[in-house]
Amino acid sequence: MPIPLVTRILVADDHPIVRSGLKKVIDAQADMEVVAEAEDGAEAVKKALKDDVHLAILDVSMPKTTGIQAADELHKRKPELKLLMLSMYDSEQFLFESLKAGASGYVLKSDADQDIVEAVRRTMRGQSFLYPSAISTLVKDFVERGRPEEEQFDILTPRELQVLKLIAEAYTSKEIAQELVISVKTVERHRQNILDKLGMSDRVELTRYAIRRGLIQP
Amino acid sequence: MRFSRLPLLWRVFAINAALLVAATLLLALTPVTIHARIAIVEGLDLAVGLVVMLAANLLLLRHTLRPIDRLVERMRRIDLLQPGQRIPEHGGVEVAELTHTFNEMLERLEAERRESAQRALRAQEAERRRIASGLHDEVGQVLTGVLLRLDDDETKQAVRQALEEVRRIARELRPEMLEQLGLVSALTELSRKFADSSGVHVERRFATDLPSLSDDAELAVYRVAQESLTNIARHADASHVEIALQPGADSVVLRVADDGRGIPGPDASAVNGHGGLRGMRERALLVGGALAIKRGSEGGVEVRLEVPAGEP
Repeated sequence: MPIPLVTRILVADDHPIVRSGLKKVIDAQADMEVVAEAEDGAEAVKKALKDDVHLAILDVSMPKTTGIQAADELHKRKPELKLLMLSMYDSEQFLFESLKAGASGYVLKSDADQDIVEAVRRTMRGQSFLYPSAISTLVKDFVERGRPEEEQFDILTPRELQVLKLIAEAYTSKEIAQELVISVKTVERHRQNILDKLGMSDRVELTRYAIRRGLIQP
Repeated sequence: MRFSRLPLLWRVFAINAALLVAATLLLALTPVTIHARIAIVEGLDLAVGLVVMLAANLLLLRHTLRPIDRLVERMRRIDLLQPGQRIPEHGGVEVAELTHTFNEMLERLEAERRESAQRALRAQEAERRRIASGLHDEVGQVLTGVLLRLDDDETKQAVRQALEEVRRIARELRPEMLEQLGLVSALTELSRKFADSSGVHVERRFATDLPSLSDDAELAVYRVAQESLTNIARHADASHVEIALQPGADSVVLRVADDGRGIPGPDASAVNGHGGLRGMRERALLVGGALAIKRGSEGGVEVRLEVPAGEP
């Protein structure tokens, strides 16, 4: 499916102040717009199914139907609709359950101001978005238990291996750029390549990886 | 010494002795026409008889009243911190009656203690839920909204930090994950966060065929695990922790074992008085479960909680 010129977005959160804040950040971008809002999971499902919406942002902790339940239902009934979860909790459990339910990404509210735009764009490109410390944890887990998949290390370039180790130690992109004396953009590019090569950039692959590694139950 | 302050034995004996002496004297001093020599022999007879009667009196009385002393001794040794102790009902009618009534009183006291502990627990959980809701819904969301509207980086950073703290506290108070994703996910998250912050290596063994538990039982298991891990972080000086969730006989068994310093004392009975651990025990009782804390196989502490399956 081609990426639309302007992504039409539904925002679902039970707090008006969060919805209006997200709307402000999103509407400021030329390539995205908030066209619908919902207060709980049930309303989100109803509106997302009815309206012409490309992407739905769902808060994990909503009353009545939760965000994850809504994601699950929407993914089944309208699979072309992209889903992003929004949450207060930096929790891998919620993250992987969200991915399993069909979400493409998981954004923390504490970083929503800077992450939501990138998350929307990546999601529309078919990539996943994970909050940074989740990526660090995943990568660290991968590095620590790497024995049976050591051959995977061979497909990474030496530079990528360097970046991988720093990600595993929870360095930010900026810190990695400083450490390796390269630009932040280059770091981001390496990071994306690493995730692609390790099979961690796609939500389906990530879910499978998480189940294999016992990070969640199947 | 005032008469009423003397022990029962001596009071009864004193009265009896007084009667016996009086009777003897009466006998001895009654005008009688007797030869002087015979009078002396008779006097000696009476004296010996008196002594024998007094001795017999004392011994018999002491035997009869001994159960009371024993009962008092036992009553003194009852320890309310170890419920279930009762005194066997021996002795005469009155003593048995007294013992029985005492045992009944112990029963009432223990039931009352249990009830008030459970009331306190319920109130605590309700309070935690309220505070967590307030934090998450009011404070957390307003901060998020504010964050999204700010432009100044430094202010944003400050708000971000506040939001992190709110999040951390809310999560500790009310594990929302427990409600949404269930016990295994919640414990996985709890143990991973513990491993991250403490640096201790955690091994998880969660069975996949666990019977379902009531909400209260799940919360009890979660809280006990939370408390155990907190204790390990604070006191144990451990390097390895194993947390396991296995099915039992129509129940679920939680085990948290570490390889740390362990509990001082020969049989870990010292922990019974410790506040946090008492709280765990109360939680277990509240949902009909059982908690055991003992020396672990790796040297440290092993906490074992078993809760019955199914809805209450």
